[in-house]
Amino acid sequence: MNEPGSDTETTPAAAPEPAARTGAGWRRDVWPGIHWIQELGGHRAGIARAVLESGADWYRPGNELYVPQNAYLLTGERTLLWDTLSPASGHILLPALEELLGDRPLDYLALSHPDVPHAGNTMQVLRRYPDCQLVAPAVGETHALYHLDDAMKVGPEDEIDLGGLRVRFPEATFLDAAIHTWMSEEATRTLFTVDWMGFPHQSGESLRRTDEIDTVVDVGRLEEFHSRVMFWFQYVYPHKVTAATDALAVQFAGYGLAPAHGLPIPGEDAAPYYELMNEVVRRVAAGGRGGVL
Amino acid sequence: MSVIDLGGGVSWVHESFPETNGHIHVSVYLIDAPEGAILMDSGSFHHRQRLADRIHDATAGRGIGAIILSHSDYPHSGNIPAFRQDWGDFEIIASCGDPDLQGLPYARRTKIGDVTEVLGRRFVVLDPPLADRNHTTWVYDEASRTLFVADGFGALHAPGASHVDWGRLPEEGRAEGVHEFHAQTLPWLRYADPDRVMGALHAMLEQHPPAWIAPIHGPPIAEPDIPRYMADLKAALTRIAERD
Repeated sequence: MNEPGSDTETTPAAAPEPAARTGAGWRRDVWPGIHWIQELGGHRAGIARAVLESGADWYRPGNELYVPQNAYLLTGERTLLWDTLSPASGHILLPALEELLGDRPLDYLALSHPDVPHAGNTMQVLRRYPDCQLVAPAVGETHALYHLDDAMKVGPEDEIDLGGLRVRFPEATFLDAAIHTWMSEEATRTLFTVDWMGFPHQSGESLRRTDEIDTVVDVGRLEEFHSRVMFWFQYVYPHKVTAATDALAVQFAGYGLAPAHGLPIPGEDAAPYYELMNEVVRRVAAGGRGGVL
Repeated sequence: MSVIDLGGGVSWVHESFPETNGHIHVSVYLIDAPEGAILMDSGSFHHRQRLADRIHDATAGRGIGAIILSHSDYPHSGNIPAFRQDWGDFEIIASCGDPDLQGLPYARRTKIGDVTEVLGRRFVVLDPPLADRNHTTWVYDEASRTLFVADGFGALHAPGASHVDWGRLPEEGRAEGVHEFHAQTLPWLRYADPDRVMGALHAMLEQHPPAWIAPIHGPPIAEPDIPRYMADLKAALTRIAERD
């Protein structure tokens, strides 16, 4: 499906263009109607050292290593932006939006949670698209402390019909902030998992899906991310977390996964990743956190 | 009352926000250091003017010379730009892997385990067992033995009780306030083993014994009241774990 306003042609069966760098940043179409805008951040030397010391074979010494921020623009008959990258990347996000949208309006800006690397350009986007409806998680009690008191609140019962695409807002199973939601898109069967299912990638792998890279995403690679971001795995009953992961695997069987800090995983490849994450939890619960992101 | 003196050069600048089952503190602390005043977190934009006025009064108009930021969550960091306009480009000390991504390109980065000096006063940077964002740090002020705990050790309180420390809250509802806070603020506790969390907290308190525990989202807890708070916290964590 080629959505109006998209300047990169995509068909469901064909692999998208692997990467398209705009004059001001990075973006591509990842699935039909879903456009991916990526902020790489700087080279993560500390994580690169840890990866090398672990003996992992997916990382080539000397390559830059990234833990990216991802935003996704959904374009049906109406348009929705999911998250906004960090404040360091307004110069990436806004030109990408303008190029992708052209003369079309941005109808919705949906925030997964009001965390700086996810919501850092909210005001800039709303200034550029003043008729845009801000959408925020319904759960939580302190929306006014985040300028979210006037936002449209969404939860697991809600759906926004974008015309050709339909988004829902399932509970965020694994999360940090109290005000938090995940999102699914039902036409492409995509689950946006925010801070869960992230992992580092290296030079040459930016803006590529997992089926387009030559290296493996294994337990160790997922652990490098989650042992930092989900530091609290060190305090859990592992069986409670793995039960929740197993429930997700059933509920979203066949869905592609679009994390905020990793590469998208096609639906046909997603099933083994749930079991990899179960092993990550067991490892962090046994070995403690890996550091700070 | 402008600020509440906890002793050792530490003052509590309390602000609260109403929630369904009580009020939640969104406070900051002011620390008198040899080379100026340090603010522990910046508070919420929601309370900006009141905070600025009270800090102005408490520092006799000099304002602050540095902010130690526990993490970049907006209710903790939201006043940094405005306060820098008020009081100049004072130093920001923050813990995170990448200050740019947290909107703090001008921050001095600290790491867990550091012992850092700020305006002539020494602080130990600690790994917090209770936090929401991964880059959160707690800080132990050696001079006053105050443990600044960001999102840890919070508690809701009844309207009208915003100015009293935790031990002087009415006993009725006090334990429930500890439970309510943790159930809503740290959603990952649904998966947590209470013994693991409590074990980490006890180890920290043994290594860094506090005269005061100073949370942002609850009243300060005086040393004699810490065992009672810990008992209420253990009960709260157990209740949260058993619910899910």
